[in-house]
Amino acid sequence: MPSIWTSLASLALIPALFLVATRILSFKTRWDPCLKHCFVTGGSSGAGLALATLLAQNGAHVSIVARDKAKLQKALEVLETVRHNPQQIFRAYSFAVNTEQGSVAAIGAASEPFDGHCPDAYFLCAGASRPGFFVEQTEESLKAGMESTYYAQAFSALAATKAMVQQGVKGKVVFCSSILGYFSMVGYSTYSPGKFALRGLAETLQSEFMLYGIDVHIAFPGTIYSPGYEEENRCKPKITLKIEETDDGAQPEVVAKVILDGVRSGKFHISVDFIGHVFRTSTAGSSERNSYLLDWVHAVVGYIGLPTWRKMWVDNLVVKHRDEHEGYLRERGLCSVE
Amino acid sequence: MPDAWVSVSLTSLALLAGLVLLAASVNMFGLSKRWDPSLKHCFVTGGSSGAGLALAKLLAQNGAHVSIVARDQAKLNKALEELEAARQNPQQVFRAYSFSVNTEAGSAAAIEAASEPFDGRCPDAFFLCAGASRPGFFVEQTEESLRTGMEQTYYAQAFTALAASKTMVQQGVKGKIVFCSSILGYFSMVGYSTYSPGKFAIRGLAETLQSEFMLYGIDVHVAFPGTIYSPGYSEENRVKPKVTLKIEETDEGATPEVVAKIILDGVRSGKFHITVDFIGNVFRSSTAGSTERNSYALDWVHGLIGYIALPIWRNSVDSTVLKHREEHEAYLRERGLRS
Repeated sequence: MPSIWTSLASLALIPALFLVATRILSFKTRWDPCLKHCFVTGGSSGAGLALATLLAQNGAHVSIVARDKAKLQKALEVLETVRHNPQQIFRAYSFAVNTEQGSVAAIGAASEPFDGHCPDAYFLCAGASRPGFFVEQTEESLKAGMESTYYAQAFSALAATKAMVQQGVKGKVVFCSSILGYFSMVGYSTYSPGKFALRGLAETLQSEFMLYGIDVHIAFPGTIYSPGYEEENRCKPKITLKIEETDDGAQPEVVAKVILDGVRSGKFHISVDFIGHVFRTSTAGSSERNSYLLDWVHAVVGYIGLPTWRKMWVDNLVVKHRDEHEGYLRERGLCSVE
Repeated sequence: MPDAWVSVSLTSLALLAGLVLLAASVNMFGLSKRWDPSLKHCFVTGGSSGAGLALAKLLAQNGAHVSIVARDQAKLNKALEELEAARQNPQQVFRAYSFSVNTEAGSAAAIEAASEPFDGRCPDAFFLCAGASRPGFFVEQTEESLRTGMEQTYYAQAFTALAASKTMVQQGVKGKIVFCSSILGYFSMVGYSTYSPGKFAIRGLAETLQSEFMLYGIDVHVAFPGTIYSPGYSEENRVKPKVTLKIEETDEGATPEVVAKIILDGVRSGKFHITVDFIGNVFRSSTAGSTERNSYALDWVHGLIGYIALPIWRNSVDSTVLKHREEHEAYLRERGLRS
């Protein structure tokens, strides 16, 4: 007498086999960056620079784009130290990519050494975080948050897409969202919306670009020990820092390695550590999955573990912080109630 | 052989018991009182048409004071008449205000105006239904159109939420904020690059505030309806790419009244994420992550269905897109987008 569990498990096998079959029929060869032209925004520091360096180590042509010329110069020197062969072209360009115009100009400049042929892969790592309490935000700060999370990558994606479609380049667009694009909590009203928005765009394009043969990837790293992280922690609310006390971050080099590996194996969503995998599988919906069968395991862990973590750690700490926060509000004239 | 079945059965029972205990501990507000809109002041943006107007009327039918906000004065006047037709008792205050709520200043002014009949006390519940959709292919967008899309989806609600939060916190009002995202805030596909990002962003904001507002006792809700048969929907379909229309052929929409009823019901029973139909429930359960769940045990069923059915459905969506490649190439060449 088969139990209901066996029946359900058997039922789940049907789509699993279906997906395995379709995967085998369209088996992707591992993507090789060697002598591909890789365009990296936010490429002068943090995870962007680490990715650019890794791509250079793997034989790619690399164009890094950022604003600060001094940082770009320094980054270019780092790329040179990992040169793999004399054919590789390394360039650094100073442009603001948070407008379509800036992105188009940057791509135009990067295409020059290649007779106008646009880059093959776009790693969009530009982004910044300035957390804070929602009641202390303004229209300006919320817009600035969207600029430095979403628009910083969306317009580069737009310019890159138009160039690739125009030239018939079957390339790649790699977005950098965040684990705060899978969930959010106190303090991230200027950050999470943009990181969620990046996912929304990536989901649209992963479907739409089947019209062009362009691949879409999106990474969801957690804490990265970079200069950006220190900036972020300077203005982060105490309560958010407290909740994140137990978090482990990762070095930019480690994150870059996992992201490049995910791009090379054709993963759509790329999560960077165990908690990332749990969130990825627990929020996947209809997103293309990398490993249908393994995802189930991470998802069960998530179904039990995530609500527990959420209620007992996150919510609990926030509620305990109420009194202290009332004092904080009164000091700043944000609350008149006695 | 029987031993194996005993082990499986016992493990299943243990798992079930564990889930039930967890469900009981995380679903405590299932026991809390239903929220009553009667004589609460409800502020509704996008309140002159579509789902916003339907919600405003439903709130009026339930005895609430209702302030509707939109831009078009003529539509607002007409909407006010419909509210009057739904009046339950003479105490109810119905007002219509013409403001642009996609700036903080506009939202703050609208809330201030709405607070006047109440001696400056701000509304108790903010239903943020403002929003619009203009789908299209990504390669045909510009910086301007992407920004407009974000304006019409995210900013249209975010700045009202900002103004509302500051006022409620200032006055110590333990109120509610209700966002209107979309099922396209749970997933996306071809044609929605101007729409989905903003609808996903609304979810991101709602997730942040649901946590943060535990500091203030303010509730957060976010609705994820699918197709609503409203004037907005007809507008949307005028510009929607053919391939998107084709994929949506089999979709069933709902009238604004049906959607409004489910949203209000969800708000009244304290649900954080509010979905409007079966497919919505499947998407909600399959994308929940650490999001507060309404029915931990039932979600598991919807989640399992999603795990099996969504990839199959997705495959057919992808298939339709792939079949469209050739036609799309011609479309691109006609417009000079492909050399």
